[in-house]
Amino acid sequence: MKLPLKWLKEYVDFNVTPAEFSERMLLRGFEVAEIIPEMGPVDGVYVCEITAIEPHPNADKLRVCTVDVGKEEPLQIVTNATNVKVGDQVPVALDNAKLTGGLEIHPTKMRGVASAGMFCGSEELGITNVEYPGCENGGVMVFFEKHPNGQRIQEALDMDDCIFDIELTPNRPDCQSIIGICREAAAALGQSFREPDPRIVEGEGDCRDIARVTVENPYLCPRYTARVVTDLKIEPSPLWLQRKLKLVGLRPINNIVDITNLVLVEYGHPMHAFDLACVADSHIVVRNAKQDEIVYTLDGKERVMSDDMLLIADPTKGVGVAGVMGGLNSEITENTKATLFESAVFRPENIRSTARRLHHVTDSAARFIKGVEPVNAEKALARAIELVDELKAGKVMGGMIDVCAADLAEKQVTASVSHINEILNTDLSAEKMAELLGSINIPTEAIGDALSIRVPHFRTDIEDGIETDWDIAEEVGRLYGYTNIAPTLMRGDTFRGRVGRSFKDEDIVKDTMAALGCLELYNYNFISPKEIENLMIPENDERRKTVKLLNPFGEDQSLMRTELAGGLLRAAALNLNRKTGFGRFFEVGNIHFDNGDLPEERKMLGVIHTGAGEDFFTIKGTVEALFEKLGIERVRFEKGGSDYLHPTQKAIMTVNGEKLGEIGAVHPKVQRAFELSAPAYIAEIDFAMLRGNIARVRKYKPLPKYPAVQRDLALIVEDSMEAQQVIDVIEAAKARVLVENVRVFDVYRPKLPGDKGIPMGKKSMAFTFQLRSDDHTLTDEEIGQAVNTILKSLKFRLGAELRA
Amino acid sequence: MFEDLLAIREAALAELSRIETSDELTELSTSVLGRGGKLTAILRTMGKLSAEERAELGKRANAVKQELTEMFEERKAKLSEIAEQKRIEREAVDVTLPGVRRAVSAGALNPLTLVYREIRDALIGLGFTTFEGPEVEYDEYNFTLLNLPPNHPARDMQDTFYVNDKVLLRTHTSPCEARALKTLDLPFRLVIPGRCFRVDEPDASHSPVFMQMEGLVVDRNVSLADLKGTIDSFVKAVFGENVESRLRPSYFPFTEPSAEVDISCTICGGKGCSSCKGTGWMEIMGCGITNPHEIENCGHSSDEWRAFAWGVGVDRVACLKYGISDIRLIYEGDGRFLSQFK
Repeated sequence: MKLPLKWLKEYVDFNVTPAEFSERMLLRGFEVAEIIPEMGPVDGVYVCEITAIEPHPNADKLRVCTVDVGKEEPLQIVTNATNVKVGDQVPVALDNAKLTGGLEIHPTKMRGVASAGMFCGSEELGITNVEYPGCENGGVMVFFEKHPNGQRIQEALDMDDCIFDIELTPNRPDCQSIIGICREAAAALGQSFREPDPRIVEGEGDCRDIARVTVENPYLCPRYTARVVTDLKIEPSPLWLQRKLKLVGLRPINNIVDITNLVLVEYGHPMHAFDLACVADSHIVVRNAKQDEIVYTLDGKERVMSDDMLLIADPTKGVGVAGVMGGLNSEITENTKATLFESAVFRPENIRSTARRLHHVTDSAARFIKGVEPVNAEKALARAIELVDELKAGKVMGGMIDVCAADLAEKQVTASVSHINEILNTDLSAEKMAELLGSINIPTEAIGDALSIRVPHFRTDIEDGIETDWDIAEEVGRLYGYTNIAPTLMRGDTFRGRVGRSFKDEDIVKDTMAALGCLELYNYNFISPKEIENLMIPENDERRKTVKLLNPFGEDQSLMRTELAGGLLRAAALNLNRKTGFGRFFEVGNIHFDNGDLPEERKMLGVIHTGAGEDFFTIKGTVEALFEKLGIERVRFEKGGSDYLHPTQKAIMTVNGEKLGEIGAVHPKVQRAFELSAPAYIAEIDFAMLRGNIARVRKYKPLPKYPAVQRDLALIVEDSMEAQQVIDVIEAAKARVLVENVRVFDVYRPKLPGDKGIPMGKKSMAFTFQLRSDDHTLTDEEIGQAVNTILKSLKFRLGAELRA
Repeated sequence: MFEDLLAIREAALAELSRIETSDELTELSTSVLGRGGKLTAILRTMGKLSAEERAELGKRANAVKQELTEMFEERKAKLSEIAEQKRIEREAVDVTLPGVRRAVSAGALNPLTLVYREIRDALIGLGFTTFEGPEVEYDEYNFTLLNLPPNHPARDMQDTFYVNDKVLLRTHTSPCEARALKTLDLPFRLVIPGRCFRVDEPDASHSPVFMQMEGLVVDRNVSLADLKGTIDSFVKAVFGENVESRLRPSYFPFTEPSAEVDISCTICGGKGCSSCKGTGWMEIMGCGITNPHEIENCGHSSDEWRAFAWGVGVDRVACLKYGISDIRLIYEGDGRFLSQFK
């Protein structure tokens, strides 16, 4: 919302600096985003009088002027302008002056002659004939009235004010107008508000005798007012009106369009003017469009309507899309003789949905969406007619067409003073509250603990219902000043604050991952359909059950991720490309699976390692360390896993037979698809499963009373044998003693036939374990027997031989 | 000559079927299609032919060339597929062998995690408990229950990613308020972190995915003054004791009165600088007394219960606290950035 200080001054005495005004407005809920000087960036330009003109010694097209800028010494300016003569007053830009288009002026030499600055034309000053008639002369601007030499250009042109660009909140559509915002500004300045009241102009005849309005859907159009002007004279508006429009950034067009635009700015109410001759029977019908009915709007576009959209029509055809845009067939032209001014109220939700579906949220639609009200509609119409009369743009007919289903009576609400004080924790008297509300034209009477409030028509945001006390508390609090309310700490019941277990678990996991050298990623949840292909996810895999966005940024961000791998790979690729030297990352994040209703949300832990020194076993080491920290024992790694992983370097991690996640090198094809310059290793772990296996209760186990003995076994096994198979057999062998801490510590494959006596196709694996008993020290015999049992079992079940 | 051409084709195809390495393939390709190859040699002899014959031979030779080129390419792809397959087999590991713990430099938590924990821990001390809800939400919870019925103009304040007309990506953590009010026993004090989503093109200060933390206090007698006190205490915990906070009026459909929270500029300390546009203050979040409609929509009496709430952008706080100039860095994953938060 642009509020020119000049307009504000028409209605309110302005007695502070613009900055102070901005601060006061801010603390009342109106943020001034920018204070824009009326002449924009122009600075350092002054009025000067040309006292002498000499030819330039070295250039025919240049002249050397002596000018008086109100200082003791005259200045010398070199110019190529031909339209200036001695005695003229012109604008001159001196050292460090700033002009439009980022132009800066400094003293210079022109063809050997010093020039202290530059004479300015209208374009450099950013003005037109509207601001200063005759200034657009193609050369240097020449003042036609006398000014003191040295006067700032802003003063000389009476353009020394500023424009406040104010951000409005959606609850205050009334302030989307000069009058509405000036009402608040007056209160902020502690001044009275000289609210304008349009004069009602009643001409000859009654427009109701020649034109009619029928509203078929009063729910969508609660009020439709209209008046008629005949003998129309379309011409440019007077300069004062054009200047006003330009102050708020609007382009003057002609008197009728300018009037509706000015009223829109002043009253915030959109209006439309129809060429009455183009409205059949001079009969406006407000009705729902027929399905697929076509209307051509002012911009020449074909609009295909649906039957829930509201149409302005005559008995034969549509003449406009209600609240959005007028029709091409009833546009005001130079030949228009009589016009019907429409000032109506349309249901915001309906206009919002219509404008969005037609992909055309016009200024007018935007206002209707924010909300307009029926009393203001009538005021805006009166103001437009007043302007028509003032501009002598036509003959105003008497009477007003008014089809009104809206309740125009002011709401009377009651609010509780004590409740408001409770909400705000203040101790304001009823009288004080009434005074505060009165300052913004909300007439309030204090009756004991109650405030009896007459809600003015423009305050549509104040509800008569359960919200009333809160609505009024908001106004009272805002006007009293939130900064005047002292902060307190909560009273009443005390609470035991606590971090929930799932949050705590996440903390531990993240801390552990960081301790293991991983950097934490927050990847976007959006993925491309291509990512699913790049990860070679098979048909029918649940990871193809993606949640699709209706309105994504683009195809490549149109799905919610069903895996963390893609994001991890993209981060790894970025770090490899940029040679950051960092290769360990993790993320804890959700993946989503479409299931028709709310998607299934699954939290995952994803880990990636890439770069020098990393391989399958280093990432395995990382997840093993995490499991150890969480007290999750006996996680099994079994060959297998997703297609995006390397076929011979991947494993499914299970605990107690349930899948915890997958781990592996990335498939070379995937590595290429994600443009990784080095192999990468990934683990994806289901967070809920991980949490479910955390050892919550840790109990002390008595220390062994009797010593354990350690035994190592070097075995010759099939080359395809996995260490886990051997460990399982060792642990399961009926050794009659406790067999503990079974680990593999060496693997050797023969490089040539006969290498270390190992046949080709076989390998040597060395294991170590401890034997122990809870109730005695093991004898040599027991130990020997146990080892024998283990070896027999290994031979019988795995064909493993003790290495000679 | 046409016979020669046919013979070259036959010979090349026969050779191709015997080839097993990409080196052999390259050799074959050069000997047939290369500059000194057999096919080229035939074309060189065309000078002796009549114009018509020349045209015909040229046409046929090109057809053969194209056919062979395609078959060589196909075989090349097949061979590299086979080579890759072999390599994959060669690279087989015993996945049950123990992992290796490498000594590496310490990793780091994301600044979002650090800031979330700081805010959370400050609030735990004030009696708050953690709570969470789904990232993909019902429109009803994200908007309608919070006093934002369908087509309410204030819905335009938050550009929303939709899944269908009932389901969306939550635009704030506030739907968890409705979930908490509907499921938990009153009174309570909750802190609710989570990812949120808005249709904001990423730039230095916007990210379509961001992290918010909701605070929600429901009790019988809470006030705007309590809200001020609570916010001031966690602002001081996160930014330091000498940072001031202030509330100024604003509007959110789910709160009334509503306010924006400003903190004294973390760069200049409140004197006014370019970061705070000379005002001395920086906006960090929105808050307010919960709208009574929301309390009622969720099945409670607004006469009996009053609530206040806020939603703070963890990203924004992280940027202010650490002086991060571009929010995208948080999500980009560059190790040189992430490793600075050890």
